[in-house]
Amino acid sequence: MNNIRNFCIIAHIDHGKSTLADRILELTDVVHTTGNAQILDSMDLEKERGITIKASPVRIPYKAKNGQEYILNLIDTPGHVDFNYEVSRSLKACEGALLLVDATQGVEAQTIANAYLAMDADLHIIPVINKIDLPNAMIDECKIQMEDMLGLPSDDAMLVSAKDGTGVPELLEEIVRKVPPPRISESAPLRCLIFDSHYDSYKGAISHIRIFDGSIKPGDKIMLKSNSKIFEVEEVGYFGLRLIRCDELKAGEVGYFAAIIRDTSDIHVGDTIISPEFPDTMAIPGFRRMQPMVFCGVYPISTNDYDKLRTAIEKYQLNDSSIVYEKESSAALGHGFRVGFLGMLHMEIVVERLKREFEQEIIATMPTVVYKVIGTKGQETYIDNPSKFPDPNEIESIEEPIVKAQVITQNDTIGPVMELSQARRGTMTGMEYPDQKRTIIHYEFPLAEIITDYYDKLKSITHGYGSLDYDFTGYRQDDLVKVDVLVNGDQVDALSYISHRDFAVQKGRSLINKLRKLIPRQQFKIPLQAAIGGKIIAREDIAAYRKDVLAKCYGGDVTRKKKLLEKQKEGKKRMKMVGAVEIPQEAFLSLLKVEEEE
Amino acid sequence: MTGLYVHVPFCARKCDYCDFYSLAKSEGQIHDYVEAVLAEAKHYQGLNFDTIYFGGGTPSLLGPENLEKLYSGLRKTFGFEKILEATIETNPESLTEQFALSARNCGFDRVSIGIQSLNDGELQSVGRIHNSKKAIDAISIANRHFKRVSADLIIGLPGQTKSSLLSTLSKFVEFGLKHISAYCLLVEEGTKLHQNMPDNLPSDDEQADLFEQCRDFLISKNFRHYEISNFATSGEESLHNINYWECGEYLGLGPGASSHLDGIRFKNEENLDKYINNPISCKFIEEELAPEDKIFEEAMLNLRLLENGTDLDLLSQKYKPENISRLQDRLDELVQDDKLEKSGNVYTINPSFVLVSNPIFSKILNG
Repeated sequence: MNNIRNFCIIAHIDHGKSTLADRILELTDVVHTTGNAQILDSMDLEKERGITIKASPVRIPYKAKNGQEYILNLIDTPGHVDFNYEVSRSLKACEGALLLVDATQGVEAQTIANAYLAMDADLHIIPVINKIDLPNAMIDECKIQMEDMLGLPSDDAMLVSAKDGTGVPELLEEIVRKVPPPRISESAPLRCLIFDSHYDSYKGAISHIRIFDGSIKPGDKIMLKSNSKIFEVEEVGYFGLRLIRCDELKAGEVGYFAAIIRDTSDIHVGDTIISPEFPDTMAIPGFRRMQPMVFCGVYPISTNDYDKLRTAIEKYQLNDSSIVYEKESSAALGHGFRVGFLGMLHMEIVVERLKREFEQEIIATMPTVVYKVIGTKGQETYIDNPSKFPDPNEIESIEEPIVKAQVITQNDTIGPVMELSQARRGTMTGMEYPDQKRTIIHYEFPLAEIITDYYDKLKSITHGYGSLDYDFTGYRQDDLVKVDVLVNGDQVDALSYISHRDFAVQKGRSLINKLRKLIPRQQFKIPLQAAIGGKIIAREDIAAYRKDVLAKCYGGDVTRKKKLLEKQKEGKKRMKMVGAVEIPQEAFLSLLKVEEEE
Repeated sequence: MTGLYVHVPFCARKCDYCDFYSLAKSEGQIHDYVEAVLAEAKHYQGLNFDTIYFGGGTPSLLGPENLEKLYSGLRKTFGFEKILEATIETNPESLTEQFALSARNCGFDRVSIGIQSLNDGELQSVGRIHNSKKAIDAISIANRHFKRVSADLIIGLPGQTKSSLLSTLSKFVEFGLKHISAYCLLVEEGTKLHQNMPDNLPSDDEQADLFEQCRDFLISKNFRHYEISNFATSGEESLHNINYWECGEYLGLGPGASSHLDGIRFKNEENLDKYINNPISCKFIEEELAPEDKIFEEAMLNLRLLENGTDLDLLSQKYKPENISRLQDRLDELVQDDKLEKSGNVYTINPSFVLVSNPIFSKILNG
């Protein structure tokens, strides 16, 4: 077992993790020439967006210069702030971490956040400076930043170009040398951690595991520590580019097992697997459970598909345990779910994956944070859906979640960053100057103000250099109001939102304007209104359409014309009938677009 | 009523908006085509027709000789003893004195001319090969040889304005036309117009305005808006086309032609070579509806006749009571919504919903 090295690659988004993983896989002959394949990013969505969403493990056989054979278990992790949870789980399965820094960008907010996660998990960190082949690489600056901002000895930094492979062979040697082998006891009773899982329609739930003690093989009885359920192992194996079956997994190894577990709710990522013969085996301390921060309603377009959607979400959760969900119903949209996500990107990805991988036709409603509503009798309620807000005269006060944020930016864009942050109700709490060129600005933000597009805006005004990390700190009271939207006189609960009173009117106007453009003209005039309490704060009308007629309908084409009418009807199925009005899916997210355009 | 339709798939040039089946003409093919139509007709010998309609394409491109050969051949096969109306479509550039004479001698008593507009800019903008002068000449030729002359008009041509439309319409009335088909321009996928949309194409709202103006003007000149796209003075309606909307029977000959016989809708493939080779092999069935579905189709087509509408008493002679009651539910619901008007057992479209009648048809067909 001294020849196993479990490590992950952590970095700020776009610093080259997946490219480095590709080069390592090539050099060790796991795959042959990949070009720009991003092999471990297997989801279509990952390839399209050029980001890693899921942490993917892979086993790499490696013959070191000292002549010895090693097994390297590499876990490629996501870099976006929303997916920290994936990172923190992966860390638990490893003894070492490559902390990758883009030489042209330097240490960024997520570099720091991820480095701290790795330090907390007691991992050995190997600092790696990537993209040294680029002419604007700032190797010396990066080294200084690593020392100053992270306390990592700069002499240890490995210099690589993941793109052309420079320095990667040396890095492999460094991994063998510096990452400690797993500390294990093969004779101790079985103890392993589920760090991920996915669903296979033949094999049931498949758990991704790191074995700490003992071993596991087909035929073994295992017990889930959390619920004491016992299963018989059907199959064990490790991760090649696919699942590769093997006879046994031993302490220190990373792999998977299947045990025909059909009820997906039995498998909890973070749970410990033990032997039923030793039921008192201690659980492995789990990782930090991330609290969902952003909630939205997810509804089937066709109300009949509710059960299908439920099954899809259950299976999805197996592969992404960071979401939470519960049943909810909306007067406008029927039965669906309130789903909680780690952030906006996470929400987008989940909704997209539900649509693609699970073939669900769904509507996602406006994302919102969880508000704390204090009633007139002093009772506190947490509300994750604006339409569930009590009547204004039953509310004493409303509190909203606040985050502590660090923004790192080049000195020449401090002005625009401060302007943006102020418009988002940010309060500056301090500034740091890690080097000559950059500033760290500390802020407190209402979470609601930064979940939607703050990060994208920040990237754009800082020409890609700005970076952001944030942590939830608590709740704070403010002058918040619920704004309702009325379409054709009927309140559409799924369009209600919470806003600071000062911005409510302006937001209401833009939303109504946006809705006017999104909702297609129909046979009658449709008034659109935004209201606080009973008071209308914005109004626009959608004019009735005036032409929808088949001009020629001669004998020659009766059948064809009828098909055309049917096609028109099909198109309407993708819209939601709210009262007498057909509302397209995008309309439910139109508040997001309002913010994009501001 | 039973109609005979003959599709003549030749054109001198395809118009930019056209998605009907048509080909550039070639003399050899026209000869073979005529033979093939006559061969196909033999297959249906024994049928009796009330109306005849030669459409296209451009039937006037056949020329006098081929037309006479085709018409007399068909008469030999079918008899044509009780024909009430025989229409031929023509385009201004090929409606010559000689052709008109030959068409009348064959037995045609009605001519429909594809004028589309009397504004040269509008005509050019969609690739028509005639100009307004040619069109006016064609109308006077037609007037000399036929008592019944109809003109096609397109609403919503690029650059069309209320005044240019009114000018075209006034001339139509001035020249004594008693039947006008006014079609809203539809930009169909795959047409030249779709690939290259002009900037000055009137919007849907503008089209609606233009159409309403057209309707008001023609009504003021004693025309009746008898079908969604058709206007005629009393007694001048196209019997052949009314038969379509009454869900009547018709036989279509020629490539791409559709038929409706014994309740079955069938069609010939749009493939001239194959048709010439073996016309019967081109036939395929499009739709055969059970009575419980057929009734909705019939009601939908009937509603297009704005004055006659859907008459439940007439339908109950053809369909069972349970089918009638399902239809009646849908119709009554539309009356509730103000989209239909009801008088006795006759339902008609509320005139203010004529231009937005698709949802009505959709409701009738799909519930």
